[in-house]
Amino acid sequence: MTAVAGAPAAPPLALPDIDGKVVDLASYRGRLVLVNFWATWCPPCRREFPSLSRLQKLFKPSELAVLAVNVGEDAETIFSFAGASEVTILLDRDSAAMRRWPVKGLPSTFVVDKRGKLALRAVGGREFDDAAIVAQLRGLLRV
Amino acid sequence: MKATALTRSAVMAFYQARGFSAQAISPYADACVFSFELRNSTRKTLHLRLADWRAQTAAGTLRFRLPQSWEAEWARRGVAEPARIAFRWAQFQSELEFAPGDWIMGMAALERRPDGAFRLNIPYVIDGRHREITLDKLVCAALD
Repeated sequence: MTAVAGAPAAPPLALPDIDGKVVDLASYRGRLVLVNFWATWCPPCRREFPSLSRLQKLFKPSELAVLAVNVGEDAETIFSFAGASEVTILLDRDSAAMRRWPVKGLPSTFVVDKRGKLALRAVGGREFDDAAIVAQLRGLLRV
Repeated sequence: MKATALTRSAVMAFYQARGFSAQAISPYADACVFSFELRNSTRKTLHLRLADWRAQTAAGTLRFRLPQSWEAEWARRGVAEPARIAFRWAQFQSELEFAPGDWIMGMAALERRPDGAFRLNIPYVIDGRHREITLDKLVCAALD
């Protein structure tokens, strides 16, 4: 993933999860948060999605949280694809949250550091449990 | 860069499944729609704009109709917001900055259907230098 120049503060993100409970990015301060914007109709999103769960398993919940922000789809559509995923899925039905983030296409992924700053970004699909990405995240945990 | 011509039926099926009516999406499906896949395998960030792309046809030069123009049409036609969101993010975005390792897919439609094959010139800027990708002998998918 690529470093975000200047490490600006992450935009706000407070959305309902698949059970309707609102999840606020601000409550994750002190942990790394990987925020992934995706949709079920997006082929690279579908391809990389399993790697988000694998990544989550490589870290303690107190170290890293993965928030997968679905754009524009309903809970039934999402659940039929994702099932019982290891990651927290959030619903951005009207894409209002996504428009506040510097998203240039789907999928787009950001890593928010422990201080709430945008540290890393990636446009397009990745294998998030790839050793190089895991090493980048472990490096951020030490900062 | 990889370009795949999409058939009218594939385009219709994709967008109808996302909430478009057949009537609303027809103008887009009737155009020459491609799916583009771009991967930055260099070590530098590159910039490109869909507005700069040119299709060189036997009858002259064509551009791609920009996503913003389609979105204005969907608003005029009263297309529901969820369908418009899916359309917006399924398109090849009009302006992109690609970091090393980034790759993206998206659809784009020419402003009108050319007769026969065409050459597509895709300018981009990398490390302050202007370069160009050329895709030759592209052909629109048949209107099935």
